[in-house]
Amino acid sequence: MSALFDECQLRCLAALLDTLIPPDDFPGAWDAGVGDYLQRQLQGDLADLGSSYHDFLRCLDAAARHLHKRDFADLALDARSELLHKVENHQITASWMLEPGKFFPKIVEHCGEGYYSDPGNGGNREGIAWQMIGFEVRG
Amino acid sequence: MSDYDAIVVGSGAGGGVAAAVLAEAGKSVLLLERGRALSFEQVGRDHLRNQRLAVYGHNAGPDIEGNPRTLDPASFPIPVGKQQGAQRILRPHEPGYQNNAACVGSGTRVYAGQAWRFMPQDFRMASEYGVPEGSSLADWPISYADLLPYYERVEWEVGVSGDHSSMTHLPAYDMPYPMPALPLPQKSKVHQSGLAALGWQSLRVPRLINSVGYNGRPACINCQHCVGFACPVDAKNGSHNTTIPRALQSGNCSLRSEVMVERLMCSGGGTVTGVHIINELGLRESIRADVVLLSCGAVETARLLLNSATAQEPSGIGNQSDQVGRHLQGHYYPGAVGIFPEKMYDGLGPGCSVATCEFNHGNAGLIGGGMLTDEDIVTPITFWKRDYPPDAPRWGLAAKQFMRENFCRINDIKGPVQEIPNPDARVQVNPAVRDRYGIPVAHLSGTSHPETVRTATFMRERAIEWLRASGAVKVWGQQPRQYLSGGQHQAGTCRMGEDPAHSVVDSFCRVHSHSNLFIADASPHVSNGGFNPVETIMALAWRTTENIVASW
Repeated sequence: MSALFDECQLRCLAALLDTLIPPDDFPGAWDAGVGDYLQRQLQGDLADLGSSYHDFLRCLDAAARHLHKRDFADLALDARSELLHKVENHQITASWMLEPGKFFPKIVEHCGEGYYSDPGNGGNREGIAWQMIGFEVRG
Repeated sequence: MSDYDAIVVGSGAGGGVAAAVLAEAGKSVLLLERGRALSFEQVGRDHLRNQRLAVYGHNAGPDIEGNPRTLDPASFPIPVGKQQGAQRILRPHEPGYQNNAACVGSGTRVYAGQAWRFMPQDFRMASEYGVPEGSSLADWPISYADLLPYYERVEWEVGVSGDHSSMTHLPAYDMPYPMPALPLPQKSKVHQSGLAALGWQSLRVPRLINSVGYNGRPACINCQHCVGFACPVDAKNGSHNTTIPRALQSGNCSLRSEVMVERLMCSGGGTVTGVHIINELGLRESIRADVVLLSCGAVETARLLLNSATAQEPSGIGNQSDQVGRHLQGHYYPGAVGIFPEKMYDGLGPGCSVATCEFNHGNAGLIGGGMLTDEDIVTPITFWKRDYPPDAPRWGLAAKQFMRENFCRINDIKGPVQEIPNPDARVQVNPAVRDRYGIPVAHLSGTSHPETVRTATFMRERAIEWLRASGAVKVWGQQPRQYLSGGQHQAGTCRMGEDPAHSVVDSFCRVHSHSNLFIADASPHVSNGGFNPVETIMALAWRTTENIVASW
C-alpha cells in the first residue's frame, strides 16, 4: 500500500503512467517501477507536488467519467491517449483544481526520469529500459 | 610564529598542484577543503544527481542546503531559483549558480579530464583582435612559452594520454604524451570521416586518463560513466589521486576536509598572516602561515577576498582597484545533435575522442573561436532530457519506440567558446544572505559580452556542418542566448596583469598588494581559451608555486 495514494488513485496513476510509456514487448512505466520512483520522489525532492498529483488524478477521473462514463483506468489505451492529448493541448480546463496543461509536462518529465534513470532511483527495474535502448553498463 | 609555512585553500586542480610542489620542496603545508573526501561508492552513479545532470542535486557537492548564492534576474534568460526582493536565490544544482564540485579533488574527482594546452594566440587576444567595445579583453602578461614547461610537467606527472602528432594547431611538441590515446569508439570513427570529408584538422582528444597502466594505477576499462562520475578503477587522474597523495607522501602536508575558510587573517601591512576557519566541528579557529594560496575557484576565491575586508582595505583584500570579482567568464558550449542512419553507439567509454581546432582562431569577422569535439557517453536520462529532438513525440508508444530505435543512433558535437570578457560580469558578496556558516554569499550579476554570443552562434553552425559531413540525416540544437557564464570552467575574477590598476595579481599570480598571498586556480586567467581549462590551471599553479619556492 502507498502512503500517498489510496487504491483508487493508484489505479488511476498506473493508467496515467502506462499511457505515457505503454507496455509493448518491453514493460510499460508501471511495471518498470515508475510508480515506485514517483512515490519516493513525492516524499523527497518533489514533496511539494503531492497535492498537485492528487488534483490531477481526481480531475483525470472526472474528465473520463464526463466523456466516457468510466474511470480513467477503465479506458483503453487509445481513449486514455486521446484524453491526455486534450489535456496537453489545454482543451480541458473547466473545474480543474490546477491548470492541467501546465502540470502535464512535469508528469511526462517525472515519468521519463523514473523509466530511463538508474534503478537506484526506484524505477527502471533491473535496468529494463537500458536493455531496451541498448545502454549497457560495464565496469 | 606560524603554524605552517603555507596554507592552500581549496583542493581542486590548482590547489593539489600547489600543495604537492610546496610539500615536496620541504615546506610544511596545510591543505584545506570545504567538501568531503568521497569514495567511489559515495560519488555513486545517480543519473539524476551528478555533476553532468543535476536535476535534484549533485554527487560531489556542495550540499543543496546551506550553500546559496544570489543572482541578478537580468543575468539569466529564464527565472531560476526563488525570487527574493530584487534578486534570485539559487541552490547549488540550479541553473545560474555556476557550481564547482565541493569535495577533495573538487571537479577533478568527477571530470572528463580533457587535457588541453591553450594556443599561443590565446595569451594575446587583445593584440590579435583589438578590444571590442564594452569588453575588458587584454593580453596575458605571460606567453605560451612561459607555460610550456609546466604543461609538459602536468602531462607527464599527472598523466595525459593522447597523440601529440595530431595537435597540429600548436607549435610542435618537444615531448610526446606519456600514454597513447584511448581506443576510438565507433561514433568517433564516423566523426573522423566527417572531418576528413571537410578537410578540417582532426585530432585525438588528450585526456587525463590512463590508456595504459601509469604511476601505479591501471588503464581505463572504457566504462560508460566517465564525465560527471568517479572512475571505478582509478584510471582518471585528478588531484585526489595524483598531486594530493604526492603532497601527503612527502610527510609535509596535512589535509583537512569539511573546513570552511571564513576570512583571511591580515597584518594590515601588506601581508596576510593566515586564515580564520570554521572547522569540522563548526568551531572557529585561526591558523597562521607565512604564505597563503587561494584555489577555491573563480567565484569562491573572489568571495573570500571580498569577505576579508579590513579597516585598511574596506572593499576587500587586493581590491583597491575594484577588480576582484570582475570579468567572470566560463565557456559557452554551442553545438548540435544529429541522427545517423547507422548505429553510432558501441558502449566504448569514455567517448570524447576526436576534435578539431580548425576554428579556434582566424575566423573572419570574429574574435577567437573554439574547439569542437564529440562527447563522452551520455546517460539515457541525459539523452532524454537534453539530446532528444524537440519535434519527436514526448510520450506514448511512439516516444518509447523513438528512444528504443534512436538512443544508439543520435550523437552530438559541441565545444567551448573563448569568451570575450565583460567587466560587468562579476562576483560580489551579499551580506543580506548567509551560508550555513553565517558567511555572506556570492552575488552574481552581469552577462556575457555580445561577441561571445556571436562566436557561439558561428561555432554552432560549424558543429552542424561537421555532423552533416559525418552523415547525420537531421540535426537540431538550441541557438546560443545571452546569459552570465561561469560554471565548471569559471575564470577571470582575479585577473593577472602588470598594472595594479587593471589587475589583481602579477605575472606570478601574487596579489599585487600582498607579498605573501597567491592565487592558484583559474581566477587569474585574463581570457579562458577555447578549451577546457584544467591543464592550464594546473600548469599555471605549478609555475606560481615553483616561483614561490625558488624565491623563498
